[in-house]
Amino acid sequence: MKKISNNRFVKAVGFNRILLCFVLILLYFLFTILVHVIQGQNFISLNRIFSALNYAYFMGLLSLGVTFVIATGGIDFSIGPVMYCAALISGYLLTANGWPLLLCLLVSILVGSLFGMLNGYLVAYWNLPSFITSMASMMLARGVGSVFTRTQSVSWPQAAAENGQYRMLVRIVTESGTTIPTGLFVLILISIICAIILNKTKAGRYILCIGSNKEAVRLSGVNVKRWEMLAYIICGTLAGMAAILFVGAYTTVQPGLGDTFNNEAIAGSVMGGTAMSGGVASIGGTFLGVMIIALLQEGILAMGFQRDYQFVITGIIVLVAVYVNVRSQKRKN
Amino acid sequence: MGEVILTMEGIDKSFPGVRALDQVSLEVRKGEVHALMGENGAGKSTLMKVLTGIYTKDAGKITYENKEVVFASPKAAQEAGVMIVHQELNMLNHLTVAQNIYIGREKMSGKLIHDKAMNKAAAALFQRLNIEIDPTETMGNLTVGKQQMCEIAKAISHDSKVIVFDEPTAALTESEIKELFKIIRDLRAKDIGIVYISHRMDEIKEITDRVTVLRDGAYVGTIDTEEATKEDIIQMMVGRVIYEEPKSKSNVAKDAPVVLEVKNLNAGRMVQNVSFRLHKGEILGFSGLMGAGRTETARVIFGADKMDSGEVFVNGQKVVIRSPQDAVRNGIGYLSEDRKRYGIVVAKTVAENTTMASLENFMAGLFINKKKEAQVAEEYVEKLKTKTPGVEQFVVNLSGGNQQKVVVAKWLVRNCDILIFDEPTRGIDVGAKSEIYHLMNELVKQGKSIIMISSEMSEVLRMSDRIVIMCEGRKTGEMDISEATQENIMHAATRRE
Repeated sequence: MKKISNNRFVKAVGFNRILLCFVLILLYFLFTILVHVIQGQNFISLNRIFSALNYAYFMGLLSLGVTFVIATGGIDFSIGPVMYCAALISGYLLTANGWPLLLCLLVSILVGSLFGMLNGYLVAYWNLPSFITSMASMMLARGVGSVFTRTQSVSWPQAAAENGQYRMLVRIVTESGTTIPTGLFVLILISIICAIILNKTKAGRYILCIGSNKEAVRLSGVNVKRWEMLAYIICGTLAGMAAILFVGAYTTVQPGLGDTFNNEAIAGSVMGGTAMSGGVASIGGTFLGVMIIALLQEGILAMGFQRDYQFVITGIIVLVAVYVNVRSQKRKN
Repeated sequence: MGEVILTMEGIDKSFPGVRALDQVSLEVRKGEVHALMGENGAGKSTLMKVLTGIYTKDAGKITYENKEVVFASPKAAQEAGVMIVHQELNMLNHLTVAQNIYIGREKMSGKLIHDKAMNKAAAALFQRLNIEIDPTETMGNLTVGKQQMCEIAKAISHDSKVIVFDEPTAALTESEIKELFKIIRDLRAKDIGIVYISHRMDEIKEITDRVTVLRDGAYVGTIDTEEATKEDIIQMMVGRVIYEEPKSKSNVAKDAPVVLEVKNLNAGRMVQNVSFRLHKGEILGFSGLMGAGRTETARVIFGADKMDSGEVFVNGQKVVIRSPQDAVRNGIGYLSEDRKRYGIVVAKTVAENTTMASLENFMAGLFINKKKEAQVAEEYVEKLKTKTPGVEQFVVNLSGGNQQKVVVAKWLVRNCDILIFDEPTRGIDVGAKSEIYHLMNELVKQGKSIIMISSEMSEVLRMSDRIVIMCEGRKTGEMDISEATQENIMHAATRRE
């Protein structure tokens, strides 16, 4: 074990991330066998992969965003409903009010940012606990979305229809019928940007340090409130972007939903090695964690089980991930 | 005074690297108030922790009610009748007074808690002690003084025969102190043995019968309070041989400019009307006993806590400091007494901690220039002789002295000219200590100015050019190093105004 963790390659990539890769591959084979045995179907197919990726796109942005908040030692339970709220409001403006597409996409991002700002302001400047604050804004987001669309669901246009170009952010089907998963490139690009922000900029440095020891950072003459709030704004903005990838994949948004995505997004981040106590976060890990979540959801559906089974399994996986996380933190101290 | 109820003889207790108690003795009689005195770190608290089973002694004998005893835990001591009333109150603010007093031994009726019975018992207890407190009142609504009375009532309700008061008057007002003394005299009349820990000389004279003095973990002596003068007691407390040569005269020129002036600073109870001046190239020692308000004063000047009123001048210019940001902008750096909590981010590297206060100087556009960061960090590792395998090392893996150097580096990189060292050598071993002293002397030579808060008398005498002494939130003395002696510092530090 010692030998492995001292290997240069392992050190550079991180033991945790290599482990996640193995889990991902293992799960894939497991589903291939199980789906074959139970359903008599082939799990290895491009359709399955695209379907899993559809789930990974928006989930990935949610998870990346919440990673920043968890890095400060906080939590955000509002991202799922905020994503729904953003998709509902912008979709309603697009379909019912006929606003231009580009403006609607901006509105979506803006709605996310505003919720992030609200959460961040209350947590950083009013010292409210992030747990409660984000619970409240979760309800707020759910309500606002419903009220705005008069509790109607919103259907974004199909790819071929007018204003359907936004779907090209998720996939492009060429004339010859091949599908290009553009969403994957979007997710990878945003992941890289997030990694740069977290590891190379002042914002990332202070966000991680605040999660580690906020008071020491404050006593170094740093405006900790500003940086703490920024983490929530990044998180909210990414939730607003996630809304675009969500409708790009599924087109229809129903009011009053979205809560369940919170837990999966947080699970993805924690699986990726982000410490719930703050101060430690990994974008690469989060990316892999989200891939595992997406694969799980697809695999369990393919086996013919209901979504509820997925919750059971995700729940167990989160428990294991948090346990491993806490154990390794303890060992470090 | 009655017969002896408790004796502690030849108590030894060591911690890694420190001999906290060395052959210490204490004798308490029934119906006496026995003062336990000594400077910070003299071993008073350790001795009481050994008595009540929080620490196990290395050697020695405790005799209680004519039997040799070893209390395994505070609970065991309590059950035998030895109780401490702590300085920090251990009360649950949301419960009622009665619920607090009977916590852990609630009166039950069947499986349910019987609040009525507890209220009745508490009321009877208060009546016996002549205290007017409603047992059904919520603890958090009481003043600190009243809360203390509850703590005492709790001690009595345990049928205690020996009660230890650990600085009971630190948080009390004048009238509350009178009330407390009445209760203590009452307890004395009831033949209870009382150990009274306090720094206040006047109280010692007023309430105690005998005084035992400890110094640097050793037993100095026991005298009757009647026969002892204040000077005698102070002499016993400080009469140590100082191994390091104290500074004999100030290194600061008479006409050195004032870099920091504080006028009539007020902040809560712990900072009252504090004024002083710091000159360029000076080490200004802040001396005083625990709870004198020195750290509080420093934190207010640094903007870490709120100021009620007062003025601060840096280089003759009036400045407004509302946050550490403002202080740092004015060239003030603060090195906390509690490095792990307030000084460093332990889970980050030496380099990251070094640039914490001045990251904007290490930016290349949007990105941190990590190469430059590492270079500067390495430069300061060399300059300050910080022992670390590299600047990428996590600070948590460094020793206390080296962590302190990382904090110093943080402020030097930020180019702070006024440095506040709060207990700079706390928790640092002897070798590293002299390195820190050397470093501080180097810094003032380079024109930096230092405020050094220290509870170690020898440190204050060795390092300071001038000394400010505080007691209970007020400045009670200021002297040049040439006039300073242990005795007159201690005089000022125990002067209650």
